[in-house]
Amino acid sequence: MREAQARQWTDAELVSSALDGSEEAYAELVRRYQDLLYRHAERMAGSPDEAEDIVQLAFIKSYRNLATCQNPDHVGAWMFRITANACKDHLKSRRGDGIRIDDAPGLADNTGDPEMELERSDMRYRINSALHRLPADQREAFVMKHVEGLSYQEMGELLGVSVPALKMRVHRAREDLQELLGEEGHD
Amino acid sequence: MTEMDPRLHAYLDGELRLEDLPPELRGRAVGWDGLLDEVASSAPAGAPLGLDRRVMARIRAGSEPANRISKWCDWAVRPRAIRVSPLAGLAVAAALVLAVVRPWAGAPPPSLDTEVAGRVYVQFLVEAGAAESVHLAGDFSDWQPTISLEDYDGDGIWSGRVPLEPGVHEYMFVIDGSEWVPDPNAAGSRDDGFGRQNSLLAVSSVSGT
Repeated sequence: MREAQARQWTDAELVSSALDGSEEAYAELVRRYQDLLYRHAERMAGSPDEAEDIVQLAFIKSYRNLATCQNPDHVGAWMFRITANACKDHLKSRRGDGIRIDDAPGLADNTGDPEMELERSDMRYRINSALHRLPADQREAFVMKHVEGLSYQEMGELLGVSVPALKMRVHRAREDLQELLGEEGHD
Repeated sequence: MTEMDPRLHAYLDGELRLEDLPPELRGRAVGWDGLLDEVASSAPAGAPLGLDRRVMARIRAGSEPANRISKWCDWAVRPRAIRVSPLAGLAVAAALVLAVVRPWAGAPPPSLDTEVAGRVYVQFLVEAGAAESVHLAGDFSDWQPTISLEDYDGDGIWSGRVPLEPGVHEYMFVIDGSEWVPDPNAAGSRDDGFGRQNSLLAVSSVSGT
């Protein structure tokens, strides 16, 4: 019942309530933004386990620093920035080229055609491998644009980066991907 | 780096329509659409089940970064999608059933103890050999993992007695302050609304009232 009531609250009300000591209010904020943050972290880290660790720590950091959130109406954007920074820190600390075992080809969605499934699975693997070889800033912009489907304006608000700079990052990411994928008929 | 035609970028940025492109670029544009669809469709739809609860458990537990043992437990109980063929799936399922059921073959479900002032003491037992702490949380503790279980003899069996009102209760064990696991010996379970099963316990008055 408390949960249903909390869903009617604005972000700012939930932040205020959490700062007054309501764990349920903060839990509602977690539920509200966990999908967005997890999708981003998973695409950035390339591993579900690492993504969950990153998101858990980002939510904990947000909780500890909630009083410093200057615009509680946009607490989701603030949490996103914390997560995005955590992703980049994580990538910097990771050794090797960043290709994870989680990226290994699995069975693609069942189409009923084994050859097509194998081909699609291989394609996904190659795309994910190429994606994880992009510089972190490029990958971040590319994921936000093409996985999360955000506009450049929305991306700019979330990251605090200008639209032209983000456009440049996405364009470079596409060009690098094109090169990494060896043309593949994409240009 | 291979530069792309700026009109292709404009198309992928949603600033141009396919028919606005010259014919020689349309094939590439369609190819990119397929690639981007593949990237988007391989992304997870959302957070794994129970992530919110794991976050809140860590916050309640002091939110320190997980140590090696708790990280292993975290990995072990975290729900995840595993893709296997049907035959391999059957083999894995059979192995899991053996691995999970055998150690528990002789373990008792929560046992009722004496009744005190309308409440009944219930003995909870759970095996968690690698754990550093085990707590109990349930509707009787407002889902706060505040009831500490103990492993007095170091045999990996954690236990504790809790006074409960007669009625049906839902509960879970919390391993190392962050891992919520159901009781494998519970009489029943109920969906918790987050994709996991709370364990069920029916407590009746010893006097039968």
